[in-house]
Amino acid sequence: MTYATATPNLGRTTVRPPIQPPPGGASGLPRLLPEHGAVPVDLPTHLGHHGRPPYRGQARLLIPLLEESGLTGRGGAAFPVSRKLTAVAAAGTRPIVIGNGAEGEPASDKDKSLLWISPHLVLDGLQLAAEAVGSSSVGLYVHRSPRLQDRLRAALAERAAAGIDQVPVELIDAPPRFLAGEESALASRASGGAALPRFKQPRVFERGVAGRPTLVQNVETLAHLALIARYGARWFRSLGTAEEPGSMLCTVHRADGTRNVVETALGTPLRNLLRLDDGAGGSGGAAPRASTAQAVLVGGYHGAWLPASLVAGMTLSNASLRPAGAFTGAGVLAALPADRCGIAETARVTRYLALESAGQCGPCFNGLPRIATVLDELAGSRPDRRALADVRRWAGLVEGRGACHHPDGTVRFVRSALQAFRAEIQLHEHGRCTAPGARPFLPLPAETATTDADWN
Amino acid sequence: MNGITGSTALWYASRATGVVSLLLLTAVVVLGVLVNRQGRVPGLPRFVVTGLHRSISLLAVAFLAVHVGTAIADPYVSIRLAAAVVPFVSAYEPFWLGLGAVSLDLIAALIVTSLVRAHISRRVWRGVHWLAYAAWPVALAHSIGSSTDMQRGLLLWVAVGCCIAVGAAVAWRVTQAARDVPRAERAAATFAQAAPRQRFRSQRSGRQHPAQQSSPLPPASPAGPSTDRLEEADLR
Repeated sequence: MTYATATPNLGRTTVRPPIQPPPGGASGLPRLLPEHGAVPVDLPTHLGHHGRPPYRGQARLLIPLLEESGLTGRGGAAFPVSRKLTAVAAAGTRPIVIGNGAEGEPASDKDKSLLWISPHLVLDGLQLAAEAVGSSSVGLYVHRSPRLQDRLRAALAERAAAGIDQVPVELIDAPPRFLAGEESALASRASGGAALPRFKQPRVFERGVAGRPTLVQNVETLAHLALIARYGARWFRSLGTAEEPGSMLCTVHRADGTRNVVETALGTPLRNLLRLDDGAGGSGGAAPRASTAQAVLVGGYHGAWLPASLVAGMTLSNASLRPAGAFTGAGVLAALPADRCGIAETARVTRYLALESAGQCGPCFNGLPRIATVLDELAGSRPDRRALADVRRWAGLVEGRGACHHPDGTVRFVRSALQAFRAEIQLHEHGRCTAPGARPFLPLPAETATTDADWN
Repeated sequence: MNGITGSTALWYASRATGVVSLLLLTAVVVLGVLVNRQGRVPGLPRFVVTGLHRSISLLAVAFLAVHVGTAIADPYVSIRLAAAVVPFVSAYEPFWLGLGAVSLDLIAALIVTSLVRAHISRRVWRGVHWLAYAAWPVALAHSIGSSTDMQRGLLLWVAVGCCIAVGAAVAWRVTQAARDVPRAERAAATFAQAAPRQRFRSQRSGRQHPAQQSSPLPPASPAGPSTDRLEEADLR
């Protein structure tokens, strides 16, 4: 074969023997988080479990292994990691690598938790990714939490003292904005500007921070990468499905009010993950309890509402969710209890999303507030008859017309609510509501941006 | 005045399409100036303004093509193709035709960058698009200078009307810019606009749900569950 000569030896990457068996018990989980509770892993413990990062000594050598593993980005877009690395490595001139831990999604905790509990896996992944693309400029973009940042700074100092890191890592402060983690917003912030998204072209991996090709990977993706570099692609694929291998961190909001970060294999039945059977009142047809789920928000605030009965038959995978118009996204799963009003929840979140518009594109900052206002109307008693048609019309007018995906994601969320809560809207039209005046279920930050400086 | 004959048809066509091109270009400039993220033309949705701006500019290009083509084809004065694109090389009226060539080149740059807009950086596109403010006055000067009919009578008033339209649009845009809403406040400003129209009752002021009075639940709090639970647990 002629093409084989072009890539000598790249297909067979040696995997160093692990110091200890790969993480995870009989179930193979958890991989990223320690087995016993949420006790943060310090450097000696980390080294005792996993050893030092297995550097390959040369750029690109890790990429075929990542391709074989089938690892995809865990920040929401599920883009194949090996393809992004290949593009950045091929772009040549002095690429930049940034770990993305901004996690602007209020309903998601997984990146904060991972950075807090297993920072060294993420930092190993950063170093290995930097080596793979031949980068000597590395950053970690994290939430503006002094405690988290102090801790990461201490971890970095400890690693520097132990001579683990090949490249120094700069911490970059992410403003508490919903869109701060968007790839181009990150590139703008890391270039010294405000965390504002821009048009998709040119792609960040072609021209990102300071105009240089930039690899942006979610922190969870980097942690998986650090494990794949040690234990290999076959180990990674031992969980999950053939198309969507491995595990992912999910922030699970169950109908009983609990909220947890759970690491779970892709392909896991959502019925188990969300405990959808709990409180269903058995099979005898007894009245459902308040903590029964009526609908599930899949994929966060740019995701989709699906009826609980539908979700009960689905698995945690895009293959299962996509036909229903949903995506795993960044792993947010929120089961709305029966004693809450889905339209009121959607109206609150949409208002928040509208206020989080970067104010750059007219369709977004003019359209989303109008959609939110009409949803508020729909959440009330006997809404104006034109309200439903107005939401649909405005949704169509803003879709696809922003520089970033914010209008599109918001429209997906709103449309799915109109579908999933059709019965609720009809109740409102008759002046009734499932849960009038119920306290809010979905989490929202107390504050949104009020000045342009809030984006810095 | 002589009527239109075989030998004068091209001459008349060139003059007529020239005047129409000027009117269309004026409309394009006015709409372009009015396309503003915040201000809006009363009674016209924003996408209509942008849509008209694009469509009319393509129409203007068609008329310009006929205008230039007929001027070159007209045997009465000899204008070479080169003189239509290279400024100030024409044997006939080199200065006034040269202005036409300058304007034509600028408009070509605007059209080409707009057609490939998805493939170039926004900054380049925007920078080139600012040339519209140069192309229009140059085209107007070309119209008045090279056409003696535009210096008096009805066509003079057409030229004056074009100036007033563009001037008014620019003045409106400048006053709008002075009232620029900071980026972070724009969505909030739209909410503020939407509320007083009273088209929809807000949930709070509208009729209450039947069960609302008897609801045992506490009033809504803006924040949901703590987002920092893990960190709190770690502090203990």
